[in-house]
Amino acid sequence: MCWPPTLPSVDDMLEIRNLSRRFGDVHAVDDVSFTVTPGRKTGFVGGNGAGKTTTMRMILGVLAPSGGDVLWNDEPITVEQRRRIGYMPEERGLYPRMKILEQLVFLGRLYGLTESQAKSRAIDLLEHFDLGGRRADVLDQLSLGNQQRVQIAAALIHRPDALVLDEPFSGLDPIAVDQMVSLLAAEAGDVPLLFSSHQLDLVERLCDDLVILSGGRIVASGSVEELRGTGAERVRVTLDGSDAAWLRDLRGIRVLDVDGPTALVELDGTVASDLLTTVVERSKVTEFAAVHQPLSEIYREAIR
Amino acid sequence: MSTSTPAPTPAWRIVAEREIRTKLRARSFQFGLAGMAVAIIAVIVLFSVLGGRPSEDTVAVIDSPGVSAVEAASVAADNAQEGSVVTAKRYESVKTAEQAVRDGDVDAALLPAGSAGYEIIGENSVGSSLAQHLSAATATAVLVANADSQGVDLNDLRAGTQVGERLLDPDAANADQRRAAGFVFVILFYITAITFGMTIAQSVVQEKESRVVEILAAAISVRALLWGKVVGTSLLALGQVAALVAVGVIGLAASGMTELLSLVAPAAGWGVVFFALGFVALAGMWAVAGSLASRTEDLQSTTMPGQVLLFVPYLLAVTGGEAVKTVVSMVPIGSAMMMPVRLAEGSVPAWQLAVAVVGNLIAIVVLVRIAAHIYERTLMRTERKISYKEAFTLAD
Repeated sequence: MCWPPTLPSVDDMLEIRNLSRRFGDVHAVDDVSFTVTPGRKTGFVGGNGAGKTTTMRMILGVLAPSGGDVLWNDEPITVEQRRRIGYMPEERGLYPRMKILEQLVFLGRLYGLTESQAKSRAIDLLEHFDLGGRRADVLDQLSLGNQQRVQIAAALIHRPDALVLDEPFSGLDPIAVDQMVSLLAAEAGDVPLLFSSHQLDLVERLCDDLVILSGGRIVASGSVEELRGTGAERVRVTLDGSDAAWLRDLRGIRVLDVDGPTALVELDGTVASDLLTTVVERSKVTEFAAVHQPLSEIYREAIR
Repeated sequence: MSTSTPAPTPAWRIVAEREIRTKLRARSFQFGLAGMAVAIIAVIVLFSVLGGRPSEDTVAVIDSPGVSAVEAASVAADNAQEGSVVTAKRYESVKTAEQAVRDGDVDAALLPAGSAGYEIIGENSVGSSLAQHLSAATATAVLVANADSQGVDLNDLRAGTQVGERLLDPDAANADQRRAAGFVFVILFYITAITFGMTIAQSVVQEKESRVVEILAAAISVRALLWGKVVGTSLLALGQVAALVAVGVIGLAASGMTELLSLVAPAAGWGVVFFALGFVALAGMWAVAGSLASRTEDLQSTTMPGQVLLFVPYLLAVTGGEAVKTVVSMVPIGSAMMMPVRLAEGSVPAWQLAVAVVGNLIAIVVLVRIAAHIYERTLMRTERKISYKEAFTLAD
């Protein structure tokens, strides 16, 4: 292999096709297919035991699939291309008693960097996470949040062509999450990025695409807009002081909730502009806003 | 874009480097090595004290028969312990000679004591070998003088009194010391093999326990990981054995036991070779012991086969009879400990050495292959301990 590697072209795409894995009689992953597009963050969502981690391990080649393929640019992925994926496993793993700079250099060299390349890259990443002064500390001496930062640095050490991150944000405070997101954007903004998470609000904020897994099968996938598009449009209306309960009498809408002057309505046969005209004719309006269906709702509907 | 950048280091070498670097820094390794070196030096000191060392004594005399008796004693002392010297120092009178003993200027005095002959005078004691040589030499000198004055030919009197010595088995010279040297080899090899075997097993299970193995397996092949550990730790173990053998050789040379050194040196050289072969043959097994375990505590049971394979030859080396030792010294792994013992104790036919070497080479190929196979299939199973039986029947 060569270093530096060729820069990823725009169409470097990670595709999972009909991937399956059985453990005895259990179908942990059952005929899963989806695509991770470069420059788009793909959120991998599902409950415990849905098969997210098993799928990710198969993508990395750490676990052999029972069936199906992992493709890189429409070709079955090679060992060398697999090594170009940055990986953060679900169960965090680094050497607990090794100095953090040394472990990053060690991993960088395993990924094919020379010692000096690995070292300068590791120092850069540690600086970015404000860990520059801790480089001679062993991992055990760091707080859990800082250990997580080192872990993400380990996934980025070789400037990967794609990233597969299993629960990268679990255990991080909101500021650390922002820091990590900005680093990911800077370091890997243009490569395919797949990450799993339980934190749906976070996934909603960060993701472009979504794959929802339940019981080893995909129950929904696509861009966040597409998935939202399957639900009806919603509007929040706030009147000037008066009670909004009378909205229930209007046709073409369904009122989901009324709280004093505020009502959440779903358009059911009418359009937003017509509704606004109707409401303004009868009352003063202080707020009239489109409301996205929260991801948690999409998720609950999908796995039902 | 693969321009003139150097080819990256192979993964197994990077792994081996980490193993070596980590171990060299470990306190347990540093203290263990130092402790064993001290133990070897202690054994050598013990040898040299028990074996005696050359002495230098000065004896006060006041007459010429005394001078010639001391000269004869010096020859006898040198025969008994190479390099020993007894020197005569002439004094004017009994009084000045006794004063010299009291002042510590001389080790003893050999003075005429009237009709009784001579007496050996010391301050509060006289070294037993010095006293023995002096009295024998004095007795002979006086006997010669008496025979002369009586006109007797001493050679006639001595005819037929010579008792010579002829050894049927010259190899058995220094038998006790050689046996002790062999015993030191066995202990040295056994301890080093167990210590570094456990090092491999621990290193593997710690990677499983800390889950870093997941990243390693994604970055490099599992086989490269195995080779790196085996190569790195084998080099360390071999380095430790070579260093300790060097301590022993230098110690023997420095303490003047050159005769023993020349007898055990071939055993030491072969010992390092057999240790290397035996250790590499077992190295894969230790890695398997680590990959079957899911936590460090599991090593107690998963390392049992490796421990037994080392302990049995160790036990036989210490307790076994000649025939048992001969057989075991040609069996792979067993030969690592037994062959050096036999070489230290006496000579070994070349064909037996050849059988032992070839047997070990075959064992290396077979065992390391089996080990690599099991290691690959069990390494990523971190959830629980796996038995050897399961490991052999596991599907991929």
